[in-house]
Amino acid sequence: MTTTVVKKTLSKNDQGQEIISSVGMIVALVSFAMLFATLMMGFAMFRLTAPVWPPAGMTKPSLLLPSLSTLCIFLSSVCYMKFEKNMADNRGLIATIVLGFIFMIIQTLLWHSLKTQGIYVSSGIFPSIIYAFTWIHAAHIVAALAMLIWLYRNVQKGVTPTTQRQAGNTGKFWHFLGIVWFIMFVTIFVI
Amino acid sequence: MAFFEQHIHDEPKTFLSKYVFSFDHKVIGKQFLWYGIAFLGIGGMMALLIRWTLAFPGEPFPVIGQFLFPHTNGVVPPDTYAMLFTLHGTIMIFYAITPILIGAFGNFCIPLMIGARDMVFPTLNMLSFWLAFVSAILLLASLFTPLGGAAGGWVSYPTLSTLIGSPGIGQTLWCLALFVLGVSSTMGAVNYIATIITLRAPGMGYFDMPLTIWGLWLTAILNAIFLPVLGAGLLLLTFDRVFGTTFFLAGAAATSGSGDPVLFQHVFWIFGHPEVYILILPAWGIVSDLLSFFARKPAFGAKATALAMTSITILSTLVYGHHMYTTQMSPLLTQSFMMLTMTISIPSSVFFANWLGTIWKGSIRFQTPMLFSLGVVFVFGLGGLTGLYLATVSTDLYLHDTYFVVGHFHYTMAASVLLGGFAATYFWFPKMFGRMMNETIGKIHFWITMLGLNGVFMGMMVVGWAGMHRRIYNPFVYEFLQKLIPINTFITVSAITMGAAQLFFVYNFIYSMVKGPKAEQNPWGVGTLEWTIPSPAPHYNFAEIPVVKCGPHELGNPNLKGDRDFQYQTEELVECNS
Ligand SMILES: [Cu+2]
Repeated sequence: MTTTVVKKTLSKNDQGQEIISSVGMIVALVSFAMLFATLMMGFAMFRLTAPVWPPAGMTKPSLLLPSLSTLCIFLSSVCYMKFEKNMADNRGLIATIVLGFIFMIIQTLLWHSLKTQGIYVSSGIFPSIIYAFTWIHAAHIVAALAMLIWLYRNVQKGVTPTTQRQAGNTGKFWHFLGIVWFIMFVTIFVI
Repeated sequence: MAFFEQHIHDEPKTFLSKYVFSFDHKVIGKQFLWYGIAFLGIGGMMALLIRWTLAFPGEPFPVIGQFLFPHTNGVVPPDTYAMLFTLHGTIMIFYAITPILIGAFGNFCIPLMIGARDMVFPTLNMLSFWLAFVSAILLLASLFTPLGGAAGGWVSYPTLSTLIGSPGIGQTLWCLALFVLGVSSTMGAVNYIATIITLRAPGMGYFDMPLTIWGLWLTAILNAIFLPVLGAGLLLLTFDRVFGTTFFLAGAAATSGSGDPVLFQHVFWIFGHPEVYILILPAWGIVSDLLSFFARKPAFGAKATALAMTSITILSTLVYGHHMYTTQMSPLLTQSFMMLTMTISIPSSVFFANWLGTIWKGSIRFQTPMLFSLGVVFVFGLGGLTGLYLATVSTDLYLHDTYFVVGHFHYTMAASVLLGGFAATYFWFPKMFGRMMNETIGKIHFWITMLGLNGVFMGMMVVGWAGMHRRIYNPFVYEFLQKLIPINTFITVSAITMGAAQLFFVYNFIYSMVKGPKAEQNPWGVGTLEWTIPSPAPHYNFAEIPVVKCGPHELGNPNLKGDRDFQYQTEELVECNS
């Protein structure tokens, strides 16, 4: 394992920084998880108390675009894992960033297509959930993309223990957002 | 425990980097202290305006009333009254108590008491303060919008807080302000948790931490977990108001599925009940320490106190339903929430008994910080006991939304936290500013505050028991409440007394900062780490990171030789046969 070898050669200071930043990132992810968990709890309450779902007069949006974005974000996470294994090769990171942007484009197309189908933000609780949840998730994706680009610039200057740490933490956030999207995809669009 | 030594950075030279955009936890702590005290003043003024209206309905507020409400000749108008009680609650909880207890003393005490040079993320710490500042501007700006600030109560239940109940932009700004503040506090919480886990001085296990740190740590954990819950609720409420979603709007539009106002209550209280403990836990920790320090005895059952606080933290996440008994919750749920809420009294009594055990047979020094700590014990005891009536479904159905509730929560999360904050201020003032506060004025401040405070909140409980509802502009239009006018006048007079007592504090605080007698390194004779360094604490705290060898409460050990009756945490515990 290359990672263990690298870890052994880390200086004491780097080790400390490593522990600190991952503790910080884990606590931050718990906070983000609670934000999304609250949204899902609200959704579950509407869903379980509704006599029919989707509410009468509504149809589920087509699965095509959400499936594509799920695929995108899944592939981006795979690419990122590749990049984390060998950070000298930054093609994985570039692929992650590109796929992240494609994900955002597909989400925009999704909002657009909903509007052309006559499903507006104010058309009831189901559209409210679709729009609000995807907005909140997309806002986090934008922040994560900014982190990835910042990481890309740092990695170009050379791979150091600092950039490895940054890559690890940015990765945690990116994978987390992928998982959140997958849960949203299954609960809102599929079932 | 991962220990590594932080670098000593250069001392900042310019005014801007030293006092404004500082990375130093001590400066950020002081910034939060000023911020909190300023808002304490604003929130207190609002309380006096509310009290005046309740005691003397229709009469102009003296002196400043004419300037504030020129259209009504100084009388508080009804819509302004709703705004006042909303913002009084919001400001006191989120902008006064949180910054003072968590922002100021959290920042100041954590690194000093665990033997660290700074927080682990100094930049995040600075950002946290300046986001709180932005949030304050958003909140204050809402007062100057066309329809005024938020007026739906501090809980902002829909439908009062949706566009139907409050069409003005003030409520939207309120949501945004709280959201930003939530982000700020979450940043602080991440910082506190990581700092306490990773930067404890070598030798300091979790049970060697002062209980103050325990309180702040548990608070930070609750903050990190539950502030995002409020954040989600506020986001959805903002979407409802700005983009036209229908999360909290119930309507006849069953065809498209309608929202549910009660959902917001669930979300709010899932956050809101832990929030009560977020506010009180630091005060509990501080009081647990100070009682031991000033009784010159080890804290009785310190481990049990820490564990009791931890179990309360865990239980506090499971009881939120007791705020919603009147929302047609199923009896199965109300009974469960009642049982869980009652369970909290077990750990509460454990540490309460420990407090009494700590001062039992101690050689108590009645200095100002100790007086305030004893005040917390008294006030919290009363507040906690009255909580039982509100946890019980059958009595709560009668007492819900009366002044009994107002009296109860002021005792627990206003009075005891306020007194705890004062205790902390008097206690750590020497380490913060290098000077001592005046003891005599401090004692006067304590006794008048105590008198006024109990007059106000005891009075509230009485009128609440008699059936007076909260949030009514003029309750005396109802005949059955007219007999309560004298008690309400008494409450208001007590409130004015309490307000006036704070002038002593402000004078003492400012005068002592400039002209108070210079503080020694260890004026209280206490062994925790912050007292091993000079007063005021130097830049980057510890020239050499201390090594901890005993607990924080080693006072009055009979084996101690010499003229000290306490041990520093850096000293080996003195044993019997040495
Ligand atoms: Cu509660």
